[in-house]
Amino acid sequence: MDKQDKTDKKDKTVFETFIGLEIHIQLITQTKIFCGCRNSFGDPPNTNVCPVCMGYPGVLPVLNEEAVRKSYLMCLALNCTLSEKAVFDRKNYFYPDLPKNYQISQFEHPFGINGYVETTLPDGQAKRIRIHEAHLEEDAGKMIHEGAVSLCDFNRTGTPLLEIVTEPDFKSGEEVESFLQDFRRMIRYLGVSDGNMEEGSMRCDANISINYPGKGLGRKVEIKNLNSSRHVKLAIQHEEIRQAKMIRSGETIIQETRLWNEEKKRTESMRSKEDANDYRYFPEPDLPPFIPTASFIDEIRENLVELPHLRRKRFITEYNLPSETAEFLTDEKGRADFYESVCKEGTDPQTAASWVKGDVAKVLNREKMDITSSPLTAERLVSLLKILDEGKINGQTAKKVLDMIITENRDPVSIITEHSLEQLDNSDELSSIIDSVLAQSSAALEQIKSGDMKPVGFLIGQVMKLSGGKADPKKTKEMIMEKISAL
Amino acid sequence: MWKDVLNNSDKKKKYINYVNDWEQKIHSFLEFDPERTSAESLSGGGRFSGVPYAVKDNIAVKDYRLTCGSKILENFVSPYDADVIGKLHSSGAVPVAKCNMDEFGMGSSTDNSALAVTNNPWDTGRVSGGSSGGAAAAVAAGLVPFSLGSDTGGSVRQPASFCGVYGLKPTYGAVSRYGLVAYASSLDVIGVLSRDLNLLGDVFDMIKGQDEKDQTTVKLDPDLPSDLQIDDGKPVFGYLGGDLGLDKSVEAGYRNCIDMLIKQGYSVKEISIPALDYVIPAYYTIATAEASANLARFNGVRYGYRSKGAETPLDLMKKTRHEGFGDEVKLRILLGTYVLRSGFQDRYYIKAQKIRTKIINDLASLFKTIELLILPAFPTPAFRHGEAELTQYQQKVADKFTATANLAGIPALSFPAGVYGGLPVGLQLFAPHSREKLLLKGAAIIGREIPVPEVPGYRSIEDICGGQGR
Repeated sequence: MDKQDKTDKKDKTVFETFIGLEIHIQLITQTKIFCGCRNSFGDPPNTNVCPVCMGYPGVLPVLNEEAVRKSYLMCLALNCTLSEKAVFDRKNYFYPDLPKNYQISQFEHPFGINGYVETTLPDGQAKRIRIHEAHLEEDAGKMIHEGAVSLCDFNRTGTPLLEIVTEPDFKSGEEVESFLQDFRRMIRYLGVSDGNMEEGSMRCDANISINYPGKGLGRKVEIKNLNSSRHVKLAIQHEEIRQAKMIRSGETIIQETRLWNEEKKRTESMRSKEDANDYRYFPEPDLPPFIPTASFIDEIRENLVELPHLRRKRFITEYNLPSETAEFLTDEKGRADFYESVCKEGTDPQTAASWVKGDVAKVLNREKMDITSSPLTAERLVSLLKILDEGKINGQTAKKVLDMIITENRDPVSIITEHSLEQLDNSDELSSIIDSVLAQSSAALEQIKSGDMKPVGFLIGQVMKLSGGKADPKKTKEMIMEKISAL
Repeated sequence: MWKDVLNNSDKKKKYINYVNDWEQKIHSFLEFDPERTSAESLSGGGRFSGVPYAVKDNIAVKDYRLTCGSKILENFVSPYDADVIGKLHSSGAVPVAKCNMDEFGMGSSTDNSALAVTNNPWDTGRVSGGSSGGAAAAVAAGLVPFSLGSDTGGSVRQPASFCGVYGLKPTYGAVSRYGLVAYASSLDVIGVLSRDLNLLGDVFDMIKGQDEKDQTTVKLDPDLPSDLQIDDGKPVFGYLGGDLGLDKSVEAGYRNCIDMLIKQGYSVKEISIPALDYVIPAYYTIATAEASANLARFNGVRYGYRSKGAETPLDLMKKTRHEGFGDEVKLRILLGTYVLRSGFQDRYYIKAQKIRTKIINDLASLFKTIELLILPAFPTPAFRHGEAELTQYQQKVADKFTATANLAGIPALSFPAGVYGGLPVGLQLFAPHSREKLLLKGAAIIGREIPVPEVPGYRSIEDICGGQGR
């Protein structure tokens, strides 16, 4: 809490806050929305360009079907009403990184309208956020200012962009932050976008207004330049305070667009409503309207997957997992899929959960690997856990083997055989190791005999060391106690 | 005979001389280079092997400039071929010239070109029409057997009528617009100009068809067998009655054509198009609205003319457009920007779309009682350079006969209808959607009685190449 906030507390007026979001997500497609250029991030400037996306004279857009399919998948996931006839429009404005100086977008008849999505608030409560619309458009390029010159990179130009507009249903920055995390998880589940806010594949503008309780929406301010869900939260919190202070001192909120200054942690005026562009929307004559047939929609519907919040609920009830564990397991679709395939093979769900959440996550993290592309397949983990369960190896060894599966890309059985890692059970070998340890530990033995059990752990450790970790710790302890009492 | 012109060096030389002689008088070409095409590509064979043709300078031909008659694209070289160029290439035809035009297709005289003044071959003091003025003049003078133009509101048909040649505006979407620099996307269509009606039909057959690069291309209805044997069917012609405000010579040409058809035993019906008086406001609203967006891409950032000394990126775009565009283009961009303003669309853009729908319906019901409609192409024959005879405003109003077909999306063909007072008069035929064959047959019926005129100084390619040169 900064100083500002403390002084404001003198005034006890509580305002009601209304926040709506405009979220842009770059769709994952092979090619750009209107041409055959590769849709990829991070390539050298102006390498994924052609006459079409560069807006050369005489070229025409050809709508990418994959982008349309992913848009509709998203619309279905957002429970939108689908337009019978979706129309593309030209949104006219001049900017050097927008080659045609109009953006092909959708205005009056977007793909989807009037939807909703469930989200879980930070306090665990479920909340329904209404979706105003979802429409498909093309992304612009990037302009880079270097000293006295401005440079344009048109690689991003024509990346398919789905804009999702929510109703002003959020009440706080915290709600928005947790919603964005849910939302990101959802789009990744659906495979429509990788939702990376830092790389700009997911971008979010926030509209915020405050008013006296019961008075409805206030005059809204749009905040741009929000590059992470945390900054969205911070900007909203800052803006709530700024607007409250203005109203308290009798000032009028100006309807405007403000930019979030990450360094100074404040919003700054960018342009007022009067300066806003008149985009002069009109239907794009180069593209016929898109009419989704029933069979097209049915086909898309088949690609709808169980969404993360529903899967989390199911994990809690079906596998009897604590909520925190279920949340971790369902955070990424690949991880949840992996977990469920392990369970399906008969592994105890609790055991599987603690491994996936614990050591598996640890090693993958260290190796910077993704569970879906790592050498650890569900079959390999199932096989490892079965060997462990049968007592052929101990827990310590299992962890070592897991590490080797991932780093060496090998089967657990071959690793265990090659390194002879099978546990020593009630064998003569274990017995003789214990004997030699006891022979060298007379001081410890004295202590134990006198009733102080502390050195037992030390003795077990020595045995483990000598056995190369293959000794079964439980059995070792039993045998040590047996041998001591027989002395 | 045109077939060997480019593969035979003796013939080619005579041909080039003939072109150069004419060009000193008419300046129909912005670029002429029959040498550019390599011998290998000429030996490919095909129906039109080695046949030269000319292309309006708003249609992309790889490695040729694509100026659109504008300073803003004066030095722009196209990195790609338009779909039509690719299709003609596979038939062996060779583009040898780019034709002058009104800047971005905006005009009726070709005087709005920023790069050259094209004269009418019939009278060099007069315009060749527009905006495909260069394409029409070149064909009339026999410089090429056919040329490609574009027609947004009459830009193929009006210059064809001014120069005494045929000009076809196909059904909207019949020919791919990929590679045609857009003026008004929902009205633009690539058309063909020629003195030879059969050749014109062949070229149309070659360039038509759906193109995956242009999603507005349509699958044409199959040709009706009756359209191919029209003489037996004796089509019913309709014509516009009442005072159409035509110049005397055009009036005479119109009257004589109708009388001739009656004499030949065709049934001819007087009809009216109720919405005709609303064509011009609707056409200019829609065309300029679309143009204001289509021409926004020319900003000096990626290609074309770039203003020097701009301080900021926005300043660069402003200055480039200010210096690069001509007055008529600026006028239309402003008009288009005006009619699209938020809060004003109901009054202009949406109303214009309603008129457009009304015109489509008017014509659809007309074509229930007639098969072909004859109407003037333009109220006057070729006018003098400058605005002394027709102001820019009068030139726009005069587009109403041609622009009707663009609003309706139907095919139309202008044909020569005689020479009056030393100048050709042209008329046009309208047919229902995708009935180009009917259109061509109708023109052939008329052509039997009223042949294509020869401009003084015209020589056939046989004459040029067979003769002793000059």
